Amino acid sequence: MSDKNINDNEPQDEMEERALSVFSNEKNEDITALVFSLITVFIVLLFTKWLA
Amino acid sequence: MSNNQNSSNMPLFLMSGLMIIYAFIVQSGALEGLFKYLGILKTTDVQVAMCFIAGTIGIIGAIINSIRKPGNSIIDRFILQPLPGILFIILLAMLTRWYLEPLVKHMSASLQPVLGFKIYKVLNLNYVILGLLIGVLITNTYGIPKFAASGVKCARFVLKMGVILLGARYSFAELAKLGVYSIFLVGTFVLGTVFFALWLGNLFKQPKTMTGVLSAGMGVCGVSATVAVAPVVKARSEEMAYTIGTILSFGIICMFIFPTIGKLAGMNPVQFGAWAGTGILNSAQVAAAALAFNAVDIKTLKVAEIFNITRVLFLPIIVLVLATWFGKATGKKLTFKEVVIDKFPIFILGFLLLFALSSMGLFAPATHYKGKFIDFSYNDRSQITAEEHETLKTALANDSIKGLNEEQMEAIRHLVKKHQISGNYEDRGDKQKFYKQGEKRMFAIESVIAAAKGEKIVLDKEVVSALKHSVKQVHKKSKTLSVLTDCMIWFFAFGLIGLGMQITKKSIMQAGGMPLVIGFIAGVTKATLSFFVVLWLVKDVVLK
Repeated sequence: MSDKNINDNEPQDEMEERALSVFSNEKNEDITALVFSLITVFIVLLFTKWLA
Repeated sequence: MSNNQNSSNMPLFLMSGLMIIYAFIVQSGALEGLFKYLGILKTTDVQVAMCFIAGTIGIIGAIINSIRKPGNSIIDRFILQPLPGILFIILLAMLTRWYLEPLVKHMSASLQPVLGFKIYKVLNLNYVILGLLIGVLITNTYGIPKFAASGVKCARFVLKMGVILLGARYSFAELAKLGVYSIFLVGTFVLGTVFFALWLGNLFKQPKTMTGVLSAGMGVCGVSATVAVAPVVKARSEEMAYTIGTILSFGIICMFIFPTIGKLAGMNPVQFGAWAGTGILNSAQVAAAALAFNAVDIKTLKVAEIFNITRVLFLPIIVLVLATWFGKATGKKLTFKEVVIDKFPIFILGFLLLFALSSMGLFAPATHYKGKFIDFSYNDRSQITAEEHETLKTALANDSIKGLNEEQMEAIRHLVKKHQISGNYEDRGDKQKFYKQGEKRMFAIESVIAAAKGEKIVLDKEVVSALKHSVKQVHKKSKTLSVLTDCMIWFFAFGLIGLGMQITKKSIMQAGGMPLVIGFIAGVTKATLSFFVVLWLVKDVVLK
């Protein structure tokens, strides 16, 4: 097993976890994605519409 | 510990430093010749800004990582640890969008005289496919660098942000136009596939837990449906993994085959969107196939997403159907709240929220399409130039505009009077009436341009040019939606590279066995039937 790479020999649980998300569950991921998207929309609106 | 920490920080320092140095080089104008050759000169400002911002954030993150011990706080888990991986994928996305894709286009254009076709068009080698391929290539050859592992786990999250932002590009008028057909098509295929997969599972004597979760995955919306249905049918984690593996493997094949078949069959953007949205399972792969079919015109992606979203809306129904089906065997049923409300993907609600805001006219007038809209109101930006006005005025005075009907003449006279296409000044209070009058005049002027082009009438070139400009002037584009679309495309590019990195040989092999057979039979049947139904139904109806 190479030090610098992740290969197929890692435990199954870790592989599955790695394949999914940094979030502990999908709901947290969804809510964070929603909040980040709304922040993006707000910033874009601010600079392209309200302050432009 | 500190040595280890410093060495693990080195890639982050290196990548950030490279980005900042690159930004300086681009800003100095040293790469202008190369950019002109690649046709990416327009992106210079974006390149400088993105590299400066990403590089600076990377340097700050690397410094913080160097001076404090890594912990398990929220900042550590969600920002500091994944930062090297995020920057790594951003670098790959930049490389793909700014260099690889333009280079592939350039090369395939040079090869066109020899081959007779453009390779990048036939193989759909746009940034979406190239990004995915880079991801797959890295994972299955060198392997994902250890420092980038946490960043890869952000891919699905970023893809979801892309899907949410996509909602801003929709307006209610469009969905209403597609609504009946998408609901009819999608509903039939979702329910049909679920029952077909359940029947196949019974035929091949598969456990009910496996069949239940697979049928939802194949019928509804891939991974989220699998996750939603798993507790209802008590599927084991390996069965979920099998299902996800089957869905993703089938989706990968679809992603590459669908655009090619779509192009060979001569499908239009709407038809392909409907087919991809119905036939492909995973929402990210639907987006990938739609973008691969047509990366410039987002219409395909929008239609695919409408169909895909409609399919996702069937999730609660399918969860209930499977709960009932499985309940007979297990005796235990989950409550309505547990199976429906708790499991409904929230990011889809985000998409719907932006769709609602867009329909209310927050980003562009509510009637917009892809951020484009027509504005007949009186303002300087809608007017023709003084020279054009003089040209038209002289032509009218000299009576040199001949062969037009009264409506067309009136439109030109009104254009000369008001310097722009518009409704009647006295009716400006009644927006609907004013818009209709303007629209009528615009159509009249467009018909004059068409008649001149078709040589049915003879008009001075300068007059035609002035008329064309008058039409162009009332066509506006929302800057807000242009920027939001750019953000969405970057999110998709990032997410798809990360998605590619999750596709290991092992995950593809994992889909092997009977679930793969059942999944593929159900998937191919759905894709084939929906192909013909879309060709038959969507052709004339949706494209109004």
